[in-house]
Amino acid sequence: MLFYALSRASFNRNLQYRASHLLHNVASALFGFIYLSIWTGIGETKDLGIYGLSGLVSYVALNQCLLWVTSFTSNGLGIPQLVRTGAIATELARPVHLFYQLMCREWGQIAYQAMYKSLPIYIVYLFAVPLRLPALPAAAASAAAVVCAAYLSICVHYLIGAAALWTTESSWFQWLNYAFSTLLSGFLIPIEWLPGWLGWISRWSFYPSLSYIPSRIYLGYDGIAAIYPSLIWSVVLTFACLAVTGFMRRRVEVQGG
Amino acid sequence: MNRAEWSRFMTMYRILIRSSFRSRMQYTFNFWVGTAAAAMINAVEFALLAVVLHRFGTIQGWSIAESGYLYAVITLSKAMYRSFASDVHHLEKYLVSGDLDGLLLRPAPVLLILMTQNFSPRFGETLLGASMLAISLGAIFEDDPAIWTAIPLTVLAIASGAVLMFGIGLLTASSGFWLTRIDALQVLTEDAARTAAQYPLTIYPGWLQGLLTGLIPVAFINYMPALYIIRGTHGAWTLGLSVAVSGAMLLLSLKLWKFGLSRYQSTGS
Repeated sequence: MLFYALSRASFNRNLQYRASHLLHNVASALFGFIYLSIWTGIGETKDLGIYGLSGLVSYVALNQCLLWVTSFTSNGLGIPQLVRTGAIATELARPVHLFYQLMCREWGQIAYQAMYKSLPIYIVYLFAVPLRLPALPAAAASAAAVVCAAYLSICVHYLIGAAALWTTESSWFQWLNYAFSTLLSGFLIPIEWLPGWLGWISRWSFYPSLSYIPSRIYLGYDGIAAIYPSLIWSVVLTFACLAVTGFMRRRVEVQGG
Repeated sequence: MNRAEWSRFMTMYRILIRSSFRSRMQYTFNFWVGTAAAAMINAVEFALLAVVLHRFGTIQGWSIAESGYLYAVITLSKAMYRSFASDVHHLEKYLVSGDLDGLLLRPAPVLLILMTQNFSPRFGETLLGASMLAISLGAIFEDDPAIWTAIPLTVLAIASGAVLMFGIGLLTASSGFWLTRIDALQVLTEDAARTAAQYPLTIYPGWLQGLLTGLIPVAFINYMPALYIIRGTHGAWTLGLSVAVSGAMLLLSLKLWKFGLSRYQSTGS
């Protein structure tokens, strides 16, 4: 019930800004066209392996749509602002676990972004790129992978937000995470094409769960079994979030508003 | 503006920058964390491009060294722009909170004050950009003495690019006097356009090339000068045109800023 109430409130709050978010969609779609142009430029003369030009273009276009669900989570789930204003003390004192309540709010935000940002861009790409449509089983499996990716993103942003209790520069971790995500998640280049050590780091990180795994499943290159690493990472990061909350409760130092 | 006024403003700018930097250095550890993170972010961004080039060799005939040059020039231009005019990019927060009212009361031009607020020298990006530039130029020219001509021309291109980025940034910020919320517009005119300019312009479809040379002319930051400086496929006019476009954009943005400021209505919040 609490989950529904908090996520619905977050969803409704975002509805107020639908018009302004339209411009975000234009910018995001333009970013996608930039990345698609890179592969179109390369694919004209080079072999793109099992993907082929149309497969790779679909892959990149889908990743661009998914960004709003799997990467553009609220900065630190709003914890840095709570630390700045001192409200974190109240939030930690509530009879609901901090991670749980912030996660509930974020699901509302993600649902809004899926509906009003990812979906419109997806529809534009279906016709303009064109982005391939998946088979029904692949669509269901990739939807599950996307849910895992969104949850992982929530966990990572919670950990980034928690860093605000110890440094005023936690926003840089957000940008670092985003930068690493574009490189290691397979967002622009499938991870099997990353050079040796970089590919190794990527495969042993949670980043492929954000883009590579959902998109490969969607396009039919992998089956539902590819989701296992995402599930394992979800468990690991959940424990990390719970442990960090324990540290947060020990000593709270705010920035004084 | 006469000479005495200009000199007074420059003195004021130096004083404000110094005090802004001093206040920032009260949190030394945080400052260096931010600097290192900024360098890392740019390195990772370039790594993405390098990985693509490493696997496929060239993008539309542009080698890794030439692409590195494009990336280095735009990185250095951006570092210069954001170092010397940091809060122009953050005008929205002043508009939304009503904090601009306070700046209007100060005995100095609002733009000058805004440029000196939260001074953030981009050491990390500058170091990374300069290293990449040195490596790229070394690889492009090898033992060719033409490198000694390319270096000063590149410095000119970087300075001109910084002015152009400042012009685009100020133009976008000025629209905030009517729109208030400008973050989405900034993503379009600054972030998306800059990302596009990291790659050779020829990879884009015609409509996007037109957009990047006409409406948001980021192609004049690095691509156009590069055609003359490192590729030699076009004459010196490409560099001259780039400087002219930067100058025109600066004048246009200053005019719109002045006009927008005269129409400013506080949000009162």
